[in-house]
Amino acid sequence: MLYFEKRQSVPQRFKVVIPIISLLIGLIIGAIAVAIVGINPLDVYGGILSNAFGSWYAFSETLVAATPLILITAGLIVVFKMNIWNIGAYGQYIMGAIFSSYFALFASNGLSKPIMLSVMVTASMVGGAIWALIPTLLKIFWEVNEVITTLLLNYIALYILKFLMYGPWKNPTSYGFPLSKTFPQNAILPILFNGTRLTIGIIFALIAVLIIWFLIKKSKFGYEIRVIGDNPLAARYAGISVNRDIIIGMAISGALAGLAGMTEVSGIVHYLQVKIGADYGYTAIIVAWIAYLDPLVTILASTLFGGLASGGYSLQITMRVSYGIVGLIESITLFSLVGAQIFLNYKLRWKNGSS
Amino acid sequence: MVEIALETRNITKIFPETVANKDISFKLKKGEIHALLGENGAGKTTLMNILYGIYMPTSGEIFINDQKVIIRSPLDAIKLGIGMIHQHFMLVETLSVLENIILGLKEYGFVINKKTVKEKLKEIESLYSLQTDPNVKVWQTTVGEQQRIEIIKVLFRGANILILDEPTAVLTPQETQSLFKILKKMKDDGKSIIFITHKLEEVMQIADIITVLRRGKVVKTLPKYKTTKSELAQLMVGEAQDCNYLRKKRETNEIILSINKLIVYSDKGTKSLKGIDLDVKRGEILGIAGISGNGQKELVQTIAGLKKVAEGKIIFNGLDITNKHPRFISRLGINYIPADRLAMGVAPNLSGIDNAIMRRYYRFPLSKNGVMNYIKALAYTKMMAKAYKIKLDNPFAPIKLLSGGNMQKLILAREILENPKLLIASYPTRGLDIASTQFFRQKLIEIANKGKAVILLSEDLDEILSLSDRIAVMYEGSIVGILKAEKADKNTIGLMMTGAST
Ligand SMILES: Nc1ncnc2c1ncn2[C@@H]1O[C@H](COP(=O)(O)OP(=O)(O)OP(=O)(O)O)[C@@H](O)[C@H]1O
Ligand SMILES: [Mg+2]
Repeated sequence: MLYFEKRQSVPQRFKVVIPIISLLIGLIIGAIAVAIVGINPLDVYGGILSNAFGSWYAFSETLVAATPLILITAGLIVVFKMNIWNIGAYGQYIMGAIFSSYFALFASNGLSKPIMLSVMVTASMVGGAIWALIPTLLKIFWEVNEVITTLLLNYIALYILKFLMYGPWKNPTSYGFPLSKTFPQNAILPILFNGTRLTIGIIFALIAVLIIWFLIKKSKFGYEIRVIGDNPLAARYAGISVNRDIIIGMAISGALAGLAGMTEVSGIVHYLQVKIGADYGYTAIIVAWIAYLDPLVTILASTLFGGLASGGYSLQITMRVSYGIVGLIESITLFSLVGAQIFLNYKLRWKNGSS
Repeated sequence: MVEIALETRNITKIFPETVANKDISFKLKKGEIHALLGENGAGKTTLMNILYGIYMPTSGEIFINDQKVIIRSPLDAIKLGIGMIHQHFMLVETLSVLENIILGLKEYGFVINKKTVKEKLKEIESLYSLQTDPNVKVWQTTVGEQQRIEIIKVLFRGANILILDEPTAVLTPQETQSLFKILKKMKDDGKSIIFITHKLEEVMQIADIITVLRRGKVVKTLPKYKTTKSELAQLMVGEAQDCNYLRKKRETNEIILSINKLIVYSDKGTKSLKGIDLDVKRGEILGIAGISGNGQKELVQTIAGLKKVAEGKIIFNGLDITNKHPRFISRLGINYIPADRLAMGVAPNLSGIDNAIMRRYYRFPLSKNGVMNYIKALAYTKMMAKAYKIKLDNPFAPIKLLSGGNMQKLILAREILENPKLLIASYPTRGLDIASTQFFRQKLIEIANKGKAVILLSEDLDEILSLSDRIAVMYEGSIVGILKAEKADKNTIGLMMTGAST
């Protein structure tokens, strides 16, 4: 009989070995699925790999996709460590995009680029933070579960975006497409390397990671969120203002998701539209787990998923395989990565029927 | 010849930093109560966890009824007829007593036949004269009742070998006596019992045979009739102990804490404090006696700022601290040792360091401008462990890996090192070995001697009587009387605790 036995402690090397093995298993299962559909899995994987990491341009596209993931994940880590389940990065991202777009579309006259971009960055962070604070206050004052409220606010954010795109902010010359006018030049993030779409957004992301790393590992606030996450009663006993820390954490988390929305519209899309890659908000939740809530590991994990997304996207164009196949592989790998975490806390053992 | 129910041969358990058990050979006979003694961290709980399948031994063998067995999980242990009642209870508070008892039992199926279960329950209850109401929820029961539920649960699973890890630490003397009655009955039925305690009187009362552990090794196994309390104490620590506390006459009438008409509601909306009036004087130890659940916990938690005051006032050193933030209150010099160390006293998965600095992490030199100095934190933790003899082999390891007594010592040390003006100590010596109990009692007395004040909560009336200057007795959310220690005796207090006289 096979059974699970609880580990007394988790050896450090397991934290590296287990994800790698489970990634491989996920890829193998994905390969079988692809083969069943009648496509050569080696072609698909080779394609994804070369489209994600095969050239400088391909890699820059991977980083483009990784940028919002890194930003959102860095923020989520802060609240996840307190066992606060912010599922609302999706909506906070959209609000960040909307808030910054407002200034790009309606208040850009005569401002220099640095000032304009600073205004947009600030606006996006405020927008995301507000969207995160609504469920936080509901939780603190009326004990409403944040999983439900953050999720519901995602839909509300999406409907606000749709309303703006089909209504007041719609570009009159877009032939009925739900898009805004293109942003003026001073509202567009500068490109980092010519010939790529990589903007200084990636720098924002790396700075954010460093700040969050410092916050968690070195600051007093980081100590407090550790205690809150492990035992909220002990935290209160120790005199920690639990609610204040939750509010700060959610504000940070929302602000970074909002900033991710800004880097996307101002850096990549250059106008507001209904499809602005808000799914990053959900992927980031999984990335945060796979990165063991460690801000530095987040960079690696986000790049991996950025590669899968951008590589898969290009594959669809170059090899004419449906994006559904890529989505399938992505979900299978995610599933095996998340599922394999059980091996961190348990080991599988074999035992004869009698004992 | 008497049959051996359980035997271990050369059990060794090595943790990364600690050899918790070394070559332990131990025999448990049928129909025997075997007491296991030893200082905090001697390895008692570890050995029991091995027998119950929570840990696998590094080496060594276990025999049950002369058959070699390998116990990989509590499920294996239960199948072999071993039942364990842990140092910290493992009941699900929101479930009913009945649901807790059958939790995890496969043979009762998905749809539970409450009738057969209740019948079997009745059988067990009448056999051991255990009384419970199977339909109440566990959170509504007292600690003593919860322990009875744990025992019934174990018996329900058909255990022949019963392990009790410090079962009496949380019980009143009366509850202890009724537990002993049950244990004796089980013994007469041929069941075997391993019993861990730090209280030598209990050993002399209930045990047939005694094994003493020291630093993971068996020092000696000897029958009770051949030994004495002082010999046992000597075996445990390797030296004799004396029990004279250094007390000073501390006459002062200066009031440090004054509580007026305090009314507090419980989480469930009932009144848990019904208008308390109480003064604490500088230089005194004020004992609070009462059967658990009569408002003592609520009273001290309210003083510490952890419960909301509905009506009334708390004045500390002339300052109104009613409904102030816990941090504000602790910075004024009120420190609180909570009754339940795992629920409130520590963050179990965080390191020894993180737990040791809980009271001062926000102050210089442990932090400055919002930045922590973990090097200073480590030094502080090491100093604490050394000064208070806490067995903390790896300060970076999760605190939950400490032995129960060592965790308690860390909490005590952490609060005492804050140099409190008023120390509220709930059950401070719960789970401490004899030497540590004396050490910390002495500390409480020193605090009072220095002109500060101590509020002492304890279910152990002997502890309250030997340390306190005055004793307040609580019953159903009110203080039913305050006695001077020299005029108090166990009987009067015991009667007052049950509300019999005022
Ligand atoms: N899982 C573990 N990992 C590392 N060390 C451990 C672990 N469990 C126990 N120890 C260590 O083993 C030693 C023995 O601990 P144990 O809990 O058996 O003591 P004990 O005799 O029950 O003490 P107490 O009377 O305080 O409950 C302690 O030093 C403890 O820190
Ligand atoms: Mg123990």
